[in-house]
Amino acid sequence: MQDLKNIVIINGSPKVSLSSTSNCLSKVCEKSMKSDALQVLRVNVRESLTHKGWDEAFEMMLKADALVFIFPLYVFCLPGMMMRFLQDYFAFFRKKGGDAGKTKVYAVVNCGFPEADINREAVEVIRCFSKKIGADFRFGVLVGGGGMFTDVTENASFMKKTFTELENSFRLMARDIQGSLSEPLRGISVQIGIPRKLYLFMADKGWISVARKNGLKKKQLYARPYIN
Amino acid sequence: MKALIVSDNEYRTETFQRLEQLVHTILSQKGFDIEEVKIEKDELGYCMGCFGCWIKKPGECVINDKMGSINRSFINSDAVFYLSPVVFGQYSCNIKNTLDRWLPNILPFFITRKDGSTMHPPRYNEYPVQILIGYGDDLTEDEMNLFSSITRQLNRISIFYQGNDNETTAAIEQLELKRQGGGL
Repeated sequence: MQDLKNIVIINGSPKVSLSSTSNCLSKVCEKSMKSDALQVLRVNVRESLTHKGWDEAFEMMLKADALVFIFPLYVFCLPGMMMRFLQDYFAFFRKKGGDAGKTKVYAVVNCGFPEADINREAVEVIRCFSKKIGADFRFGVLVGGGGMFTDVTENASFMKKTFTELENSFRLMARDIQGSLSEPLRGISVQIGIPRKLYLFMADKGWISVARKNGLKKKQLYARPYIN
Repeated sequence: MKALIVSDNEYRTETFQRLEQLVHTILSQKGFDIEEVKIEKDELGYCMGCFGCWIKKPGECVINDKMGSINRSFINSDAVFYLSPVVFGQYSCNIKNTLDRWLPNILPFFITRKDGSTMHPPRYNEYPVQILIGYGDDLTEDEMNLFSSITRQLNRISIFYQGNDNETTAAIEQLELKRQGGGL
């Protein structure tokens, strides 16, 4: 019988609302990975920061067989809040004399741009962090068109193929955690199946529509409040 | 001419203090009026991806703290220097947070850059030239390459400082420290 492996999924979305892409990806990740051989634990970075403090989360991470960081791309790299989490974990890890030699690390990064590859540098930051704690970075999952990943679209026909790709990448991750993959993968890109032009068009219309709901006219979106 | 320096007060190492002094000296010699903003740990609220700066209060962050005055100074400067420790090949938390909360200065819509990648259009016609100086005592090549690569994506300039004043001075001397067009 295989040893039970502990996986900690770290949801690094700074959003206050629960309906973020990272929340959606975390749920899909957990659902795809759960099995008799894997125990999945969850850490919510924002919730820990605002309510509980990070020590409980850090203790879980110290004992984990695998860490899966799931977060959005902010201004082409990790959000400030996620950097605070990693910096503080690094300090905690050193203070505790942690040994991450057998911990496998994965990064799942999503962005609002349709191109998944824009997330590549953020994945490399997690690789760099893993190296600093002596952990074994395995691979990243790069997700483009993040706004399309919601609990509602999960069942939409036009997103079916994309969600299947996503689930497959998490199943691969689960196999890797159990030691089935001999070599780490280079990274998996998950793109949405909507033409780029259409996605951008819909997004632009969406901003105007939501601004109108806030009582703003389109031209007000172009305000320049800081010109002296 | 006005220069804004944004630094991380959580990392006041000896290397940082030397760099800070160096940047002040160079900018003073060039005749800049200098404003320095030192970011303390937990001083700024974190960007929470609410997009309020685009769709509720366009051009301004909805979090009411020091970042509003930093963004105003930013827009009205000729050159902005971020002094950031290199942390895991990226900017430190405090510096990254100021960059996240710089988002009000661009528009929500999408444009395609010359290289085919997607970006948001500028909100203003001109922006200050922006330089990110990454510092540390034992930076690896991988960390520096990653820091440069991220900074390139942001269409900003990266320079490193590991204690060699001459190298960093020469790198700054090569730059045109003036405002530039809005293309990001």
